[in-house]
Amino acid sequence: MLTDISVLFQIAGIGIILALIHTILKQMGKEEIAQFATLVGFIIVLYIVINGLSDLFNQIKSVFLF
Amino acid sequence: MKWLGAVLLIIASTCIGMYISNRFEKRPKHIRQLQSALQLLEAEITYSQSPLQMAFRTIANQLPFPVSQFFHLLSEDMKTAETDFTILWNKRAEELAELASYRKNEVEILKQFGSSLGQHDFIQQQKQIRLALTHLERELEDARDEHHKYSKLARSLGVLLGVFIVLLLV
Repeated sequence: MLTDISVLFQIAGIGIILALIHTILKQMGKEEIAQFATLVGFIIVLYIVINGLSDLFNQIKSVFLF
Repeated sequence: MKWLGAVLLIIASTCIGMYISNRFEKRPKHIRQLQSALQLLEAEITYSQSPLQMAFRTIANQLPFPVSQFFHLLSEDMKTAETDFTILWNKRAEELAELASYRKNEVEILKQFGSSLGQHDFIQQQKQIRLALTHLERELEDARDEHHKYSKLARSLGVLLGVFIVLLLV
């Protein structure tokens, strides 16, 4: 099953921190920067997820093609 | 070892946030010091009618650190140097800008005021001082606004960005 759980915690932590940064920036009236920070965080998380997915596909390839 | 690095990173970014918020906090204070320095200079010029070097020394004795050093060094310079007064003033003003947390605007006001110093009679000089004081008042308002807005923001953002980077690297 899922052996390496730490990536989940990492993504959850990034989400929490980004939510905090977003709220603080929004409170101080820097809406654009808040949006931008959220976007950057989203891209980072997407990168992590895509890395995991590429691992998965490689494994599938190695099961069926060889 | 890994955790030690993480803790160090968080501490470092917290310190950077503190430093930035400190700059925001100190700017209104330093501008106010400059204002009181100019007021003292006005009193020295109009009432005591002392020469600039003496006036600078009295001002340096009455004010706290960054501004006092500026006037102290200026009075020392005027004793020895043979160059133009404006050049001396500009040089020391740039040094002061590095010591205190002034922006370009304040330095520009200070330089403009320095170029007018010693060129006119009492009344004109008094007008120049009043003008510089009004400019500084505007900057002070600005600095206060920014202080309220950004000093807390910088502090919390420093901590949060540290935690964020640590999470990325774990």
